[in-house]
Formats: sequence, structure tokens, C-alpha cells
Amino acid sequence: MTDLNIDSLTMRFSGLVALDKVSFTVKENEIFSLIGPNGSGKTTLFNCINGFNKPQNGTINFCGNDLLNKKTYRIIRSGISRTFQNVQNIPFMTVLDNILLGANSRIDTLGTLKRLVSRDQRKIEESMALEIMDFLGIANYEQKFMMGQPFGIQKLAEIARALVSKPKLILLDEPAAGMNDQETREIANIIRDIRDELGVTVLLVEHDMNLVMSISDQICVLESGKVIALGEPQIIKDDPKVIESYLGEPLNA
Amino acid sequence: MKDRYEHENLYWIPILIIFVFLLPVILKGVTFSYKYYLFVLNLAGIYIILNVGLDLLSGFTGLVSLGHAAFLAVGAYTSAIMVDQLGVPFSLSLIFSPIIVGIFGFIIGFPALRISGMYLGLTTMGFGFIVKRIIISFRDWTQGSAGLEVSSPVLFGYTIKSDWDNYYLIYTFVIIAIVIGRRIATSKIGRSFMAIRDSEQAAEASGINLSQYKMLAFFISGLFAGFAGVLFAHTSSFISTDHFDILLSIYFIIMVLVGGASSIYGAVLGSLFIVLLDNLFVPLIEDQIQLIFNTQAGDIQSLIFGLIMFLFIIFQPMGLYGMWLKMRIYWKLFPFNPRQRFT
Amino acid sequence: MKKIIGVLIVIGLFGPGCVKRAPSPGITDSEILIGNVQDLSGPMKELGAIIPNGSNMYFKYINDQGGVNGRSIKMLIEDHQYNPQKAVAATKKLIEKDQVFCMFQVIGTSPCEAIRPILAETGTPLIAPATNSGTMSDLTKQAGDLIFHTDTGYDRQAEILVDYIIGKNSDAKIGLVYQDDDYGQNVLLGISRVELKYGVTVQKESYQRGAVDFKGQTMNLLKGGLTDVIIAGIVREPVVIMKTAEAMNFKPNFYGTGPTIDARVGKMAGSAGEGFTATYWAYMWNSDEAGPKLYRELCEKYDIPQPYIGLYHYYGFATAMLLVEGLSRAGKNPTRNSLVKGLESFDEWKSNTFPPITYSRNDHAGVDKVKLVQMQNGEQVVISDWLE
Repeated sequence: MTDLNIDSLTMRFSGLVALDKVSFTVKENEIFSLIGPNGSGKTTLFNCINGFNKPQNGTINFCGNDLLNKKTYRIIRSGISRTFQNVQNIPFMTVLDNILLGANSRIDTLGTLKRLVSRDQRKIEESMALEIMDFLGIANYEQKFMMGQPFGIQKLAEIARALVSKPKLILLDEPAAGMNDQETREIANIIRDIRDELGVTVLLVEHDMNLVMSISDQICVLESGKVIALGEPQIIKDDPKVIESYLGEPLNA
Repeated sequence: MKDRYEHENLYWIPILIIFVFLLPVILKGVTFSYKYYLFVLNLAGIYIILNVGLDLLSGFTGLVSLGHAAFLAVGAYTSAIMVDQLGVPFSLSLIFSPIIVGIFGFIIGFPALRISGMYLGLTTMGFGFIVKRIIISFRDWTQGSAGLEVSSPVLFGYTIKSDWDNYYLIYTFVIIAIVIGRRIATSKIGRSFMAIRDSEQAAEASGINLSQYKMLAFFISGLFAGFAGVLFAHTSSFISTDHFDILLSIYFIIMVLVGGASSIYGAVLGSLFIVLLDNLFVPLIEDQIQLIFNTQAGDIQSLIFGLIMFLFIIFQPMGLYGMWLKMRIYWKLFPFNPRQRFT
Repeated sequence: MKKIIGVLIVIGLFGPGCVKRAPSPGITDSEILIGNVQDLSGPMKELGAIIPNGSNMYFKYINDQGGVNGRSIKMLIEDHQYNPQKAVAATKKLIEKDQVFCMFQVIGTSPCEAIRPILAETGTPLIAPATNSGTMSDLTKQAGDLIFHTDTGYDRQAEILVDYIIGKNSDAKIGLVYQDDDYGQNVLLGISRVELKYGVTVQKESYQRGAVDFKGQTMNLLKGGLTDVIIAGIVREPVVIMKTAEAMNFKPNFYGTGPTIDARVGKMAGSAGEGFTATYWAYMWNSDEAGPKLYRELCEKYDIPQPYIGLYHYYGFATAMLLVEGLSRAGKNPTRNSLVKGLESFDEWKSNTFPPITYSRNDHAGVDKVKLVQMQNGEQVVISDWLE
């Protein structure tokens, strides 16, 4: 039952319709990609799931919980974490501490108070982060300040921050933006690993078609807030509407 | 997973603590003006406690407070009234006064939910003025602007009276404050504070309740200021509203900035640096400057403060602690391109 | 290694304060060191420069004559910005670090109150605090036995003023504007005593130290239909109040206590200040007594700049005379104790700057009478003899 059900979601910003009756379902352990031209409403959809935006109509349902009634900071406790399109890291903290930020929902009040009197709690917390850092291969960077780290590391650190909360669903907003081919291939592997090894469902927004087509189980194409196509990569690739509005020409991937 | 603490050099912490407790003895051996130096160090100690709290609020959480002199005042007056007029023992006042100041900070924190940056600074500054007025108007309790005499602290039947005793009292709490400040800074709370400062989006997405943590920052900051206030009132034996003015709040912010915002050790270094500069260094060079320019003592103080702020912000935005970090890394890696490591 | 460097730094920092302990602090074979805390950059900074200059002039005169028992007097001045806490720090520095023999002339009521514990702890006498507050001569307070007050208390001044007003016009309706701090409290103390004595009620208006607008207070005074108003202010307050009153066409007789004696009050207030009467507790600096004559001679001799010469400069001079007399009575090898003893031996001591001063073990009050000084055609004219 760890499905994400989005039903006729409508979001308007003072007249501009950003999302128009969007409906789809993300099944458990799936890599689900959202694609579409700029301004088609992908990030708005993320923000709706995440609680930053409150849609006027429709429902978002995760594991049987209605997400729309929840405050943003509660969403992570429902098992959904996210990354941002423009990386949102804390520059004056170490990479390790940045990642630990995501572990907040795993540390209860008692643990917080324990930290004030003992150092062991810090070790427990660090082990949470180091586990994920090892997984993503950035463990060497733990003690370095986030400020001035290469963009790739910052991206990975953000993914690690989203993963350390042990989510059931992770929202990745353009993880491969601004990366070269090799890095993009690494990201693709990582996303697959996230699903396969950690068992986390992935909802992905990405512009890199090769990446999307190669790893997605399902793809949803948005245009001007409307769903124009939904299905497996092969179907999308051949969909005339998608080709016309977005892909331009058939892909040969 | 490797155990990281085995590689970390922590041996200097006990050495430092021993040094802090031996310092009066060393001073007494070296100079017989030691009482004055202890007095200055005591003042620095009280400011360290307050600035650790202020750093958590303004440095970590990014909520600028120009009302910390008022926090100090509330702590000082609360404790003075509780101990001298209500007969509460000092040791209990040491617990309750900070909590009262914490609640006071909590109330002042409400505007922070809506405004930030300079506007918040101005709001807290306004609170400072209000507090001063309130203290003056409750004349029956506070003696108005005349100032209030405060009794010496009594702990476990022992009256702490001289600068010497005060030093040990204050620095015990300074060490506790630094340790707790460090622990808060490296705990979930500290990370959340910094996240709120640098990216509210990331903070919220990571499950941080912004309003709750902003209020918490004010509360914690109030606790530290309250501790400082209690110690201030009872060790200086006389408090007056004149001392808790806006200039003092600005000095606190300067101490935090000079030390390096968002590092606890920075707040400590900044407080020590400014207080020692103010009381020991400036008087030394004052006469020399006065020979060249025909100014008066107070003017030179402001001049030097302005100059230090100016130079620090231009050359050392990360403050004294940042300087120390850079130096340490520089020496560790000395021959191998040390500049690149710290960017 | 680091530790050694640390210790060296500490020694370097604190070393300069390391001097040999003299038999009595501040006393060497050739020098007596005294400490003074003034307001050099706060609200009263004009006085902070002028008063000690007057004292230094007299010290120089004495030093040129060979000093007190062969020791010359040296005065160290610190700044407290009219902030009691800073006064405490400055006094600590003077007593603990610079090792002064005694404190002298600390300005302001609140600062003087704040340093009482240090005086008591170290047994340092404070001679001639530059405040009129009657609390300074209260022997029951902390360190009261170490403070030697020269000036007539504000409470006494207020009493004398009301006596004078009622003596002139028994139907007078009196108002008071006071500064809301120790100064004002001390004035109120005196006022409450005369209220009891004459069965009158004085209309009281307060203001905060540093206030610049007195419209509200003046309006209230106007509504009260007063004939006489006492202003317990410093310099700016009486000027603004009198000007505001003139603008409102409200013309009672104005009186002032303590620092309002400053000649600038009348000058700055202009026509509004005409007839303003203030209390003064010494001989006028430009009168023909022996003290003021010596003062004017010395001013000429030591080339004192013109703006300095006047009432406050003279006050510094006069209190310096008192200190020097006290030091000379303290014996060949003065101690703090013998200084107190020496001062307590004053019996109708005539300096010709102050009226005769008597101190004893049970009385540290100094002068307790005033003369009234009125502004007439822009000049300060003494209009009464000593009033008690």
C-alpha cells in the first residue's frame, strides 16, 4: 500500500493554471519520471506533494494518508523526502552535518536531550549519515565544509540528506542537471541502486531524456499543467503527442 | 565504520580547563594588580556566556537580536529582586531566573515568525527600550534609574565576595556554557538552526518546524542571557539601567561577529578579544593617540571599535575562529599548497 | 611549547601592571597618585574636561611649590560616560591596577553610588565627589565613613529654595521638574520635608535623563497655575523648559538646583532665562574673596584657555584645595587611614573658596548652606547672603 495516488490535482496561481486535473499513481518500488517542457508544472507538483504549495482541488494520498492536510515539516515523517532543483545545502556546515540535517525526523526529543550530556548520541547520529555516505561514495568528504565543494558532490550530498531520513518515497528534482555524461551515468546507477538496494520508490523530474528513458518504469508527460501521456518508456517514446510537443523527433535511445 | 574520535586531538580541552582554573594563581604570581585583571576577565566571562547564547540565535539561526542587553537586564533584575526582596536562595535563582528570561525571549521571538534580518533587529531593539522603561517605572522593586544594589551570591553557605571567588564561580559556568553551547551546536538543534538561516526550504523539507525552532532559538538564547544576567547582577553588586542600553547590545553583536558568527569558540574568542581590548589594550595606546589627536577617551574607544569591525568584515568575514582554523590547516599542510584546502 | 608561548603572552600582557608595592598604595617618595573618574564622552562631557582641569591647575601650583610634604600630586582620570557600571570598572582599574592612594571628585550621583562597594572593600577614601546629592554624606550607607562630601545636598538646596519662595510670597504655588534618578530622588526628599513643614503641595513633573522635549511637563505646570517653578536639571533642561514656557506665555519665577548654576543656562535661555535663580554652595569665582582671587591669578599664570575659566573650573580648583589640605594633615607618611583622620580634623577650615568646612567622625557633610545667584541682564548676580 505504499502507493502515491494523485487525483485530479489543480493548482492555480492567481489565474495561471499551473496544474490542471493531474492524476496518476506511483506504485511501490518504481522509478516514476515526470517530464515536460519548462513551466509545465513539474516542480509545482513536487511542491504540492511536499506541502510548499497548497492546491485548490484534488487529493494527494500516500500510504492511505492524505498529504494535503499536513504541514510541510510533517511530510518527511510520512516517508517522503525530496531534493531541490537548485541545490539547497547549508554552506557553512560540513558535508556530514548537512546530511545529518535529513536525519532530524529519526532523532526524537529524548535523543536530542541525550546529546547534551553524552557524546555517544553524536556517534549514533553520525553512523546514520556515514551509512548513506558510503552508499553514495562520498564518505571522504564528511569533514569538509559544503561551501566550495564541487557541484556533483553537493548534488549527491543533497540526495544523501533526503535518503538518511529512511523515506519510502524520494522526490528527485533534476538530479542530473548541469552534469556531464559520465556523471549522468553515475546518477542513473545511483537512482537504480536507491530503488533496488534501499527499496525506495523514486519520483523523478529530469530533462535528460536518455537518463529518463533508460531507468524509468513509468513516465508521465506534463504540458501546461495537463497530463498528455502516461505509460512505460516505450509507449511514451512513440506517442505522437509527446513527440510533437516535447521530444521534437523520435529518440533513438 | 572507522572510529573517528581516535584521530581527533582532544587532549587540549582538559589542559585548557586546568589553565583557566590556574590563571588567577598565575596572575597573582606575576602581578599584584591581579584583582583588576580578574575583574576584567569576570566581565569577559559573563559576556562569553551571553554571547554563546546570542551566537546560537543570531549566528546560527540568523535571527539578529539587538535586544540582548535587555535580556541581560531582565536576568539581572529578576535575580536581584528574587534574592534580595523575595528571599529566594541564590542557587534557586540560578535556575529560575534563566527560565524566566527564556520565557521572556520566547515572547520576544514571536515577531521573528514573520520578519527577519534588519527588521527583526529593529524590533528587538524596540523591546530593549521597552524593557528599560518598564524597569524604570517599577520603581518599588527596581529603584528606577537610580540603580539597584545587589547582594553577593551565597552558594552552599559560602558567600562569594571577592573578584577571586567570582572568577571561579563565573568560569565554572563559562565552561559549562561552552560545553552545552557546543553540544547544542552539534546536535539536531544546532543543525536545524543553521538550516533555518541558510535555507528555510531545505529545513522544512527536512522536517524542521520553522516556527518551533525559531522560538526555541529565542528561548535557548534567553536561558544563556539569563545565566549571564544572574551572574552579572550578583558579582557586580550594583546594576543600573544605564548599563543595559542599545550600545551594549551592539557590542554583543560585534563580539559575535568579530569572533566568527556561527561558531561557539568564535563567540568565546570574540568576547575575550573585545573585552580585553576595551579594558587593557585601548588604555595603553590611548595616551599615545591623544598626543597626536586632541580627542577624549570615549571617542578613541568608538574609533577603535569601528576600525576593528571594518577591518574584520573586509579581511576576515569568518572572524577570529575562522582565522584560527585557516592557520591550523595551513601549518598542518604547510608545504603542500595550503591555500586550496580551505575554500 | 604552545603553553609556554601562552604563558609568555600572558606575562607580556599583564607585565606592565607589575610594580613594587609601596608602603601605602599610590604613595612613593616623590609622588602621591590619586584617581578620578569623570564623564569624558557621555552626557556631561563638557564638565568632565573642565572640572579636573581646574584641579590640575591647583595641583600644579602646589607641585611647583614642592608638593605636599615633598611629594607631588599626580591625578589619573578615567572615563565612565555617566554609566555606573563603567564607573565601577574604571574605579577598579584605578584602585587595583594603578594603585591610587585615594579617589577624588568622581562625578555623578549614580556612579558614586555604584562604586561604594569597591571603596568599602579596599578602604579607599573618596574625597569631594562631584555631586550635590545629600546621600553622599549619609554615614549609615556603605563606605559612608570613607566619603567626604563638600557640597550642600540637593535636599537641602530644595528646602532652602522653598523656604525662600514662601518667605517672599506666602501664597506661592510651587512646581518641581526633576530628573528621574538619584538626583531627582534626593531633591524629592527635601521637597517632601518642606511640604510637611509648610503644609503645601508641590506639583511634581519628572523627565528622563537625556530628554530634549519638555512640552508635556511645561503644559502641566501651566495648567497648575504656578507662580514658582524649581527645576532640578543639569544645563539643557532648564534652558528648554524656560524657552518652552516663554513660548506658551507662561511666566512663573524659575529656580534651579545643583548643576543649573552653570552660567550657560542664562546665556542659552536668553530673554527667557532672565531672573532665573539658582543655588550655589561656594563663593562665586569672580567675587572678591581671597580664594577666587587666587584662582584668577593662577588662571593667568598657567595660561588657562578662556572657555575653561568659570564656575566649574573654579569648582575643580576649590575641591583640589580641600584634598591638598587633607593630604597635608595626613602626616609625613600618609596612609588611607591617616587621610581620613586628617580630613576629620577639619574644624571651621577656611579655604576662602568654600564657606568654612567642618568634618568630624560623625559628620562628613561639608557645606550645608547656599547663596542664591540670579540672572540679571545676562550676568550672574549674587542676590542673597548664606542661607541655611
